[in-house]
Amino acid sequence: MKICVLVKQIPGSEATFNVTPDGRWIQESGLPFEMNESDIYALEEALQIREKMGEGEVFVVTLGPDRCQKTIREALAKGADRAIHIKEEAPFCTDPLTIASVFTQVIREENPELVLSGLQSDDLGFGQTGVLIGEMLGMTTATLVVATEIQDEDIRVKRELEAGWFQWQTMKLPASLAIQSGLNTPRYPSLRGIMTARKKEIKDVSFNDLRNVDFLQSFKKLSIQHAEKHTEMIEGSVDEIVSKLVNVFKNEIRIN
Amino acid sequence: MLYPLERIIFVLVVLVSLGLSWVTFSKMFKVIGRGADPIDWKKAFLNLPKGLGVFLSQRTLFKTRPIVGGIHAVVAWGFTLYMAVNVVDVLYGMIPGFHFLPNHIMGDIYRFFVDIFSILVLIGVKYFMFRRFIAKDQNLVVKEPVLLSESARNGMRRDSFIVGMFILCHVGFRFIGASFEVAIQGHDWSQPAATLLSFLWTELTMTQASLAVGEHVSWWLALGLILAFLPYFPYSKHAHLFMGPLNYMVAKERRSPATLEIMDLEDENAEQFGASKLEHLPQKELLDGYACIMCNRCQDLCPAYITGKELSPSALEINKRYYFNEHLTSFANGEESTDPLYKWMLTEEAIWSCTTCGYCVEVCPVGNEPMVDILRIRQDLVLMESNFPQEAMDVFNKIETYGNPWGMSPQDREKWTEGLDVPIMREKGSAEYLYWAGCAGAYDDRGKAISKSVVKILNEANVDYAVLGNEETCTGDSARRIGNEYLFQMQATQNIENFEKYGVKKIITQCPHCLTTLKNDYGEMGAELDVIHHSQFIGQLLADGKIKPEKNLTEKVTFHDACYLGRHLGEYDAPREVLQSVMVDGNDIIEMDRTKEQSFCCGAGGGNMWYEIKTGKRMNIERFEEAIETGAKTVVTSCNFCMIMMEDSRKVTGQDETMEVVDIAELVAARI
Repeated sequence: MKICVLVKQIPGSEATFNVTPDGRWIQESGLPFEMNESDIYALEEALQIREKMGEGEVFVVTLGPDRCQKTIREALAKGADRAIHIKEEAPFCTDPLTIASVFTQVIREENPELVLSGLQSDDLGFGQTGVLIGEMLGMTTATLVVATEIQDEDIRVKRELEAGWFQWQTMKLPASLAIQSGLNTPRYPSLRGIMTARKKEIKDVSFNDLRNVDFLQSFKKLSIQHAEKHTEMIEGSVDEIVSKLVNVFKNEIRIN
Repeated sequence: MLYPLERIIFVLVVLVSLGLSWVTFSKMFKVIGRGADPIDWKKAFLNLPKGLGVFLSQRTLFKTRPIVGGIHAVVAWGFTLYMAVNVVDVLYGMIPGFHFLPNHIMGDIYRFFVDIFSILVLIGVKYFMFRRFIAKDQNLVVKEPVLLSESARNGMRRDSFIVGMFILCHVGFRFIGASFEVAIQGHDWSQPAATLLSFLWTELTMTQASLAVGEHVSWWLALGLILAFLPYFPYSKHAHLFMGPLNYMVAKERRSPATLEIMDLEDENAEQFGASKLEHLPQKELLDGYACIMCNRCQDLCPAYITGKELSPSALEINKRYYFNEHLTSFANGEESTDPLYKWMLTEEAIWSCTTCGYCVEVCPVGNEPMVDILRIRQDLVLMESNFPQEAMDVFNKIETYGNPWGMSPQDREKWTEGLDVPIMREKGSAEYLYWAGCAGAYDDRGKAISKSVVKILNEANVDYAVLGNEETCTGDSARRIGNEYLFQMQATQNIENFEKYGVKKIITQCPHCLTTLKNDYGEMGAELDVIHHSQFIGQLLADGKIKPEKNLTEKVTFHDACYLGRHLGEYDAPREVLQSVMVDGNDIIEMDRTKEQSFCCGAGGGNMWYEIKTGKRMNIERFEEAIETGAKTVVTSCNFCMIMMEDSRKVTGQDETMEVVDIAELVAARI
């Protein structure tokens, strides 16, 4: 089975962010980057499916500037067979429709039976790319996938619904699945993996060459919200404290 | 003495024994030869004085258990004497009319010492057997839940009994034989004990003929036992008597106990990194198994063993040894060993329980390094199999992404310097000293307080220093001890580049783990740096009169040794001297029972800071309870990890109101 995994490099969630003077993007110098969390799980799921089936190919597709090489190598070190790097320079496109259409052109040539993507990117968080690609490629599509099971021509997926409910759904292949974090235990690359990753193929394509739709969305200005914390001391007798605390739980934090 | 027929039989028995011994001994050395990283035998031979020195002085036995060590020394010296005795006895038996310097003062002195040592050895070995089989000394037992193979469990008792009985009978019959000889020739006061026994034979009115029979029988039993025992030697723990000294002769010089040689990760032909199977261990470490006498000194203060985890460094070596015994022929012949080490030598939990505190290596009388085996197995599990605690993976990812195991922003690394007068390298350009705060010193609240104290002292003494600030990144200590050589080398390369950029030669740090890594592990990588612990540096400043802290500490204090400062670097005095310098006269440090070389680990080393082995008691609690017992109100540390662990246990044991944990730098900084 040929599996495509979409992998994105994002700034580390613990990083300290500053906006560039023109207000269009964050300052990247000194910023740590890492692989998007749900993409890590999507990649692991693809690798496990390949291992379970005993054959197949996993290739990753990444959109971003040169710094994404590190993330691509990480995916290759974990076991992806090859990679396609859609190169893009700042200012970066943030429009999901444009992004999905570019990915679609690259993926269509490869004709995979399964496209796995993380549920959403932890930086922009639109959560649309996987769904749009599925639609553009005419694949069956599912989001919030927490388990997969390949059955001949079909794939059975478990989806996370609201309020602790789950749904099992059997779908036709080829399919595009948006993977929820936590469905497996991602591996750490072995040394052999790291070494062989250096020799694996990374095909470069240009984002601008492939862009065929107009941006439907553009960034106006970026700003960083500074959340303010405040501490409130609850005072009084034990009974008063308890009743005030219950009130806070019920009405402010809303614990049921 | 012997009859001609006896002499012929003796020669034949010797030939058979030597033949069989040749077979078993050569298998033993073939087993050792199966290891990686060949022993340089020529160099080992040149180390003969070192091996003999250890053997004859018995000095390595006295680090702990001094009484048992003393008895052992007597037995060992007796054995040494008996090597000469056996040669003399063979000559006496084989050459008609031979007597060793008969009417000569040297001969009398020889007979006197043999006589005395025979008695001493008999008493010593009886004591050892009493201790093992009757008193059932718990020090000689490996407790649950440690993995000890079935063959080891049974074999240890059997082998101990055989060895004990062998010595008792060999020396005993030699002594009885001597008494018969004395009885035949008339009393000999150079052999007081044998003469005393000879009175019994005269009392029993034994004839000359029956005395001669007794002497012959004793001679045959005494020497025959050696010939019978010799081929068994390689199967027996008694092999320790030459494998132990040999172990010192073949030992690799290490910069510090947990600093392994640097792996060539670019080696395209390398098929294995770290040790998965027995044959992946260096030859020296296979020899360890043969050198082990199973005294269990290493587990006495192993923090994992003491707190009830699955690790005993001793059991690791014992299992190794019994694996050799069980698979001697096949393994010697080059067959691949059956299972990975973590299936039979020690459990996976045991592998991750090791804090690399170095106690087992420090205390082992025969120079074994079980900790090093564990580090090599970890390398295999991390680099080859990606099989290690989940929390360790988080740490690897955090170090890779953020350059620190806490996963805090690298842009915030120098935040602790805000509002302080701390020069930063990129602004200052260069400085005599680099002050290395380390990840804990930059991100952990307690660590930051220590860093602030250190810079206060450095500023007070007008030291020419600077920090790397945001350019500093994890040394890779935890990564390396957990087994991630790749990540370690990435971190090291990055730091070494920065050192070169700013011409850094001298580094001050408060973290003994950073210190060991910068000084020794980076040294192995070719970056020779002069790294000094803050306690040593503050000590120098005090000696030079550059700082004059008030000497007004009146509280009772106890000092907790950091493994990586003490056992790993041999520094016990500097932090104590600094501490004492702020204590009022008459107020002395109250030492815990387990201190200095025998200090007990806080539980954070070897990566254990980042994951928790749930089995048994927590090591930091075990240690803090010991601190509570001293009655001291202040526990003084000199390591970031120790600080975090002690602070945690202070709260867990409910001492947060009554006791405090401080670093030596904080005590000094508060007084200037």
